Amino acid sequence: MSEYLYVGRNIPRTIEADKVTGKAVYIDDFKRPGMLHGKILYSRYAHAKIVHVDASRARALPGVKAVLTGVDIPDVRVGFIRDQRVLKRDKVRQFRDEVAAVAATSPEIATEALGLIDVEYEELPAVFDPFEAMKRDAPLIHDVDARGKPIRSNVLPLPWRFKEGDIDGARETSAYVTKERVSTTWVNQCCMGTSGCVAEFDSNKNLTLWNQTNVIFGDKGRISEYFQRIGLGGKKIRIINPIVGGSFGTKLDTDIYEFICIQLALATGKPVKIQFTREEEFIALPPRQPAVFDIEQGCDRDGRLTFRKVEAVLDNGAYTSWGATTPSVMMMPMSSLYRVPNVSFEATCVYTNNIYCQAMRGYGNPQASFAVETSMDSLAEAAGIDPGEFRMINRNLPGEITPMRLKITSCGLKECIESVRSKLDWKNRHGRHNGRGVGMASLIHVAGGARVYKSDGHGIMVKVDEEGCVDVLESGTDQGQGSPTVISQMAAEALGLHAKDVRVIFGDTALSLWDAGTHASRHTFMAGKAALIACADAKRQMLEIAVEQIPKLVNRRFKSQKRKDPSFVPPDLDWSLVADPEAMDIRGGVIFPKSRPDHPIFRIDARDVLKAGLHVGTGESRVVMAEAFYDPPTEMLDREMKGNLSCSYAFGTTGAEVEVDRETGRVKIVNLVAAHDVGRAMNPCLLLGQVYGAVYTGVGYALTEEIKTVKGRVVNGNFRDYQILTAMDEFPIEPVIVETDDEAGPFGAKGVGEPGLVPTAPAIANAIYDAIGVRIRDLPITPEKVLAAMKEKDAC
Amino acid sequence: MIDYEYKKPKSLDEVFTLMKAYGSASRVIAGGTDLMVTMRRARKSPGVLISLRGLEDLKYIRKDDAYHVGALATHRMLECSSLVRDELTALQEGAAKVGSVQIRNVATVGGNICNAAPSADTAGPLLALDAIVVLRGPEGERHIPLAEFFKGPGKTVRQRDEVLIELEIPLEMGGYGSSYWKHSRREAMNLPLVGIAAALHLTAEGLIDDARIALTVAAPTPVRALKAEEFLKGKTPERDVLVEAGKIASSPECCSPRDSLRCDAWYREEIIRVYVARMLALAVERAGNGGSST
Amino acid sequence: MNTISVSFMLNGEPVVAEAPETWTLLKVLREYFELTGAKEGCGVGECGACTVIVDGEAVNACLYPFPEVEGKTVLTVEGLAGRESLHPLQTAFLEHNGVQCGFCTSGMIMSAKALLDKVKKPSEEEIRKAIAGNICRCTGYVQIVESIKAAAEALDD
Repeated sequence: MSEYLYVGRNIPRTIEADKVTGKAVYIDDFKRPGMLHGKILYSRYAHAKIVHVDASRARALPGVKAVLTGVDIPDVRVGFIRDQRVLKRDKVRQFRDEVAAVAATSPEIATEALGLIDVEYEELPAVFDPFEAMKRDAPLIHDVDARGKPIRSNVLPLPWRFKEGDIDGARETSAYVTKERVSTTWVNQCCMGTSGCVAEFDSNKNLTLWNQTNVIFGDKGRISEYFQRIGLGGKKIRIINPIVGGSFGTKLDTDIYEFICIQLALATGKPVKIQFTREEEFIALPPRQPAVFDIEQGCDRDGRLTFRKVEAVLDNGAYTSWGATTPSVMMMPMSSLYRVPNVSFEATCVYTNNIYCQAMRGYGNPQASFAVETSMDSLAEAAGIDPGEFRMINRNLPGEITPMRLKITSCGLKECIESVRSKLDWKNRHGRHNGRGVGMASLIHVAGGARVYKSDGHGIMVKVDEEGCVDVLESGTDQGQGSPTVISQMAAEALGLHAKDVRVIFGDTALSLWDAGTHASRHTFMAGKAALIACADAKRQMLEIAVEQIPKLVNRRFKSQKRKDPSFVPPDLDWSLVADPEAMDIRGGVIFPKSRPDHPIFRIDARDVLKAGLHVGTGESRVVMAEAFYDPPTEMLDREMKGNLSCSYAFGTTGAEVEVDRETGRVKIVNLVAAHDVGRAMNPCLLLGQVYGAVYTGVGYALTEEIKTVKGRVVNGNFRDYQILTAMDEFPIEPVIVETDDEAGPFGAKGVGEPGLVPTAPAIANAIYDAIGVRIRDLPITPEKVLAAMKEKDAC
Repeated sequence: MIDYEYKKPKSLDEVFTLMKAYGSASRVIAGGTDLMVTMRRARKSPGVLISLRGLEDLKYIRKDDAYHVGALATHRMLECSSLVRDELTALQEGAAKVGSVQIRNVATVGGNICNAAPSADTAGPLLALDAIVVLRGPEGERHIPLAEFFKGPGKTVRQRDEVLIELEIPLEMGGYGSSYWKHSRREAMNLPLVGIAAALHLTAEGLIDDARIALTVAAPTPVRALKAEEFLKGKTPERDVLVEAGKIASSPECCSPRDSLRCDAWYREEIIRVYVARMLALAVERAGNGGSST
Repeated sequence: MNTISVSFMLNGEPVVAEAPETWTLLKVLREYFELTGAKEGCGVGECGACTVIVDGEAVNACLYPFPEVEGKTVLTVEGLAGRESLHPLQTAFLEHNGVQCGFCTSGMIMSAKALLDKVKKPSEEEIRKAIAGNICRCTGYVQIVESIKAAAEALDD
């Protein structure tokens, strides 16, 4: 890509040097003068009435500045469907229910104070299985909804129903039909930096909240709305991100601890920090949404998919956060992964006394794709068609419109499947059933924004100072994915200035326009699109200044030359070359006429032009500042859950070769190929980092990670018992970048943050089937499950 | 509330003096990688911690009339010792698999044994290598075979006023081929789901004349699979024989693994059966080399 | 809770810290010296985010009792860079994308430093073993290993 100076290059992350010198300030490191420390008291039961709370002993402890219980704060419900109070009154519904909170001068004193709060409970019967919870006689988790209307069932009234075509009719005409149940469980995001925030009110009761949210404006909006209901309506809110220690979906909602922190700050009049310990991060942080899928698919004699019917049951836990909205994303692979004309998908979310869930990298897609791709393999087998070939037959095509009305623009799925087949030597390695096997799975994901809110906009402000230094005021957030570098590349490319002179400011609601959120792998796409518009405007301003200033600069130079050398005669110049901004351009920090890029006189350093434009002394100073708010031409899902919610879609295929130890059921990954259609790689090195990280998390999801609970209580809430992979759990990974140069994307780019994870688990599950003929349909695929399945198979 | 005084005695005598002065309010701490965690999680501490880390002369690995491993030898020392790797291979392998480099740099083998977790990675190898625990108290020394040292999970015969100062391994164990398998779900930073240590001695003709199989997380304390060991005596170390030994070792005659949140009993039995055979095979190979792993 | 005074070498300079005797080295570094590079990722020695080097060995500062650091030599990530330039490990992590969110990075770099101080040209296996006690969720470790390899090359020149 020699046409670009920065786009497509491996510009290193030098701008983030603070992270390697210990200087980067994370929320853990962040302090405010007079700051207090907040700690939360969690419930001792999964389901119980709160009979009495006595905080008097805690309040008396020296160093304690406030103790709040449910009755000490306004009775306001928060959350996606307003089913939860910040501090619980009356009842606790899960082990992590927040019953009280303490602010003290040190975390140790605050923790000690928690032990002095006496809570009397009356235990209630609990339910921990969504299928049990759906039954008539199950204990009712909630009695009333947000409006006070009585609730009679644990099933949530959510609209997750999708239908296109005629399923029954398609089933009749299918040559092959398979049906199976597939399930996934909770896994923890495992951000290395734990959750935390600092809340501080100024003397006018305006709030500044330092937190790690990826949706700074969404967070602000929810808190503002909360303020309305607690008597602080109209007070200003400013959300600021410190450096964030990972996100992976944990920072898309306004968590209860944020509201608690705000209430403690209000109660004490001091800044308050709440910082989760790792134990809390496992026990009190909503994990990935589990799901049970009953999936049925059919195809004709030639292997073309005829229908796909899926019914899903989701354990909603005690309250509702983004986990309950994962079906809206699941619809995407359900309806649009591979071409299938008749689709029906129904998801039921059920309250239980388990932990409730939020987003995690992939947001429902990994779960759904595990179901779809397990079923694809089963169906391929039933039809007697090689699974790779089966996918090829049904692959998505550029330009198609899916049953969900997604408009596929670029689609590199064919190249991805082919690349996996060739790199895994699929022809020779599939079907041996000798303890080694290969498997594959593909993905579709949003890659050009995602209209989950009415606005999918992204605002950006670009200012270029007289030194040629650029500040990009970004409304997105940085979670470590490399945005400071990638956005500086795109901005520099669009402006024609140096990437090293571009600084990106993230995560401050006071300093940026609005953004829907750094989620759905949309940051590079949205920031890029907005930057292109703003930078085009800024460039135009710079060129207008150039037109005004270049003649003056040149003449001044000639005068100075004449002074030094009286015999100097200024050359004849074609001044029309620098008379029209449209006829000029900037590249590599230099301004020049388009038609004569090497002009010896009119090639001028942009800095000289900008300085001249500012220091004119005639009252006509010019500064360069541009803004853009890019809201893509996409649709929200309508009542039928259909609509083109993204400008473009990412595709990819993961292939795995595994070796199974028949005596122990242990699965070893011999090779893993991850092929991704990324549109265009803005920075291949950073992009690979996203893929490697996502793949590793995907392998953990497939084989080792699970949050274990016993009657609702998390029992493996630490890094020793929760099996996140270490550096010694390596396997060969081969990433393949496929560039389809999407028409919608900035410089052709599509998002890639999540796709790397999505198809990993089914690829491995399918490879295990190829290796030993047993199919594990329940994640994680532990050696016990494999061994037990092999024994059962041998016994038959 | 965590609140303690931290004492740094420079000699064993000073340790005994402190122990006597503070009695049950005190606890000995070595590397601290277990105790610091326990205190943090329990949010409680003893009133006085008596650190052994100043006792540099308990930090050694020697071979003379026997193998002598000082109680304060770190796991890292054992891991990196060519003597241990070559001649007491199972012990090197056990020590090398504990936690991480950071943990192994400070965690001591004495601490690992005194803590008496059923999962201790050095316990199985030491048991298979016939280790003797040397305890010293104000009254003098006791030598106790490791097999008699553990009383139950977290419990040993060490008296409150005694300090474990050394683990002694008989010289002849250096002529055994040995191996250790730590079964876990990932390759590092785990407790074992099951630990299997094997040590074998072969006659000049290549028959098994002595076999040791030690299992951890298979019973309330680390145990020897005596019936399996008996079975092996005098036999040729062929695959069928080793597989049979594995079957015996995994049977109720030799062990009683339980269900726990980390693993089910039935799977532990499978692993014992499979890996006893595999570790015996490895020990045979090493015994054939005169006990060396190289 | 007694406050004690402990003298040791910190990043090449002799220092004295006065802090409660029950504090860990991690707390002393972060709160007394305000060196916040070492992080508390778990507080129980299971993640490595707090790794520092004491007397040449990588240790979890969260488990290291403050009184034990008396007379020892401690090196943290803040002590790596020279006056004018970064340490090759730091440069390599930036150039090879061994850093993403950066939370594990201080500990990761110190584990790597401890290794490279002892082994000039470590194999990939040795590198992975050295950082096995440093958990990372962002990178999948691949580019971290590449960064450490690159640093080893640079140091060897």
